[in-house]
Amino acid sequence: MSVGWTQVLLAGLWGGLVAVERKAFLQAMLSRPLVAATVMGALLGDLRAGLYIGMLLELFYLGTANLGASLPENDTVSATGTAAAAATMAAATGAGSTQALWSIAILLFLPLGRVGRIADRLLEGYMARLARVAMASAEAGNLSRAVRQNLWGMWPHFFVYGAASSTCALLGFFLGPLLEQLPLDLLRGLAWAFPAMASVAAALAAQGSHAKRAPLYAGLGATVVILAVLLSTLQERR
Amino acid sequence: MSTAPTLSRSVLLRVYLRSLFLQASWNPKGMQNLGLAYSVYPALEQLYPDKKALEAAVQRHLTFFNTHPYVAAAIVGGVLFHEQRIARDEESPDKVVAFKAALMGPLAALGDGFFWLSLKPAVGAICAALVPALQAWAAVLFLFLYNLVHLTLRARLYWMGLTLGDRLVEAIARANLPTRGARLRSVAAACAGGLVAWLAVDLGRTAGGDHAPWLVSGCLALGVVSYILVQQRVPNYVVLYLAAGLACAAGAFL
Repeated sequence: MSVGWTQVLLAGLWGGLVAVERKAFLQAMLSRPLVAATVMGALLGDLRAGLYIGMLLELFYLGTANLGASLPENDTVSATGTAAAAATMAAATGAGSTQALWSIAILLFLPLGRVGRIADRLLEGYMARLARVAMASAEAGNLSRAVRQNLWGMWPHFFVYGAASSTCALLGFFLGPLLEQLPLDLLRGLAWAFPAMASVAAALAAQGSHAKRAPLYAGLGATVVILAVLLSTLQERR
Repeated sequence: MSTAPTLSRSVLLRVYLRSLFLQASWNPKGMQNLGLAYSVYPALEQLYPDKKALEAAVQRHLTFFNTHPYVAAAIVGGVLFHEQRIARDEESPDKVVAFKAALMGPLAALGDGFFWLSLKPAVGAICAALVPALQAWAAVLFLFLYNLVHLTLRARLYWMGLTLGDRLVEAIARANLPTRGARLRSVAAACAGGLVAWLAVDLGRTAGGDHAPWLVSGCLALGVVSYILVQQRVPNYVVLYLAAGLACAAGAFL
């Protein structure tokens, strides 16, 4: 097994950048799972893994929101970490990306969202210190130093979540060879788990849409798709 | 009445760009206070050449402040509107403090409801539903659609705050964001429902091989059951891992 250090570094850079974008700057949604994981996959040479993992996690976290002082799970680190691990696992096996591999990455790295929430809470302590420094500087008449404290709040996000994404990419290189030893039956089961998890994530998204009559709209959407698939299947048979 | 310098375009632009860092040091005590002071500082520097007056102005904006980060642009613009009047002695400094206190709560609720709970889920669900057709372009489309609304509204709100001051409330009310948000949420639900079916069929056919019909029907059933379970307050994680376990066992033993 050889570790691709460039990939580990790229994973850290992208993971750090989107963590800053998520919390501290702009919030243009580069940090949403669909975007963050897709770009991570593209950077690490496995666009398809990043895209499908991003899609599943986008749906899984669709209903979460940062309302007031509440902290939701950190969907960004969950997406970048999972996509990075899936891409490096595929690189380590050399057999290419499969649904079984995506399932393993999701099952192992999805809880990063919860870990990220704990880290976010801990980082608030550092931010409180910055606020105290700013107040003291303003009282001492050093106004530009006081307002500049605001920018120091960005770097912890970059380093903490960059390191987390790099670690996931690194772990992927170690996990890849182990996966080759799994029995074929289990790998087939894991391949089945991906569409099942995707369907469940989409159902969770319908529930998390906050629509007043969500079951009605979701049912309508599902019916239209099923009818379209049935019609096209019937036409193909003719 | 004293004459204070009017804010130059470059300062207005600097304030707007700095407002994009509003949450950089979000903290539990003052929340976005540092971000707001950082945003408006270039304008305050221009309005108050006297150091004592500048210190007092900065202190006004280092107090507690928290609202939705996009809609905050309206308050930042409004703060500049009031600070210009304060610098010209046309009103007392209490006005700007009252303006922030009165608007940050209602605008936070409006922004959360429209951007976080409507626009984000709707665009996310639409673009996730388009992944099978557009592949990676779905992520690009997500950024384009979301930011078309986000960046346009953010810039417009800043301008409204800057030019209308307290009257921006009426202008925002006319935009009727809650009704538009409700429509977007319905779109999100319909897309997600359609996606349950599409993912079950498409991915199920790919992974299922000879057992594809079983896997497709199983995935559809899992989608419905998981919706009911989550409504019964079963945690999302439990539902997802349970579904993965079931599908994994079925795939391994069938």
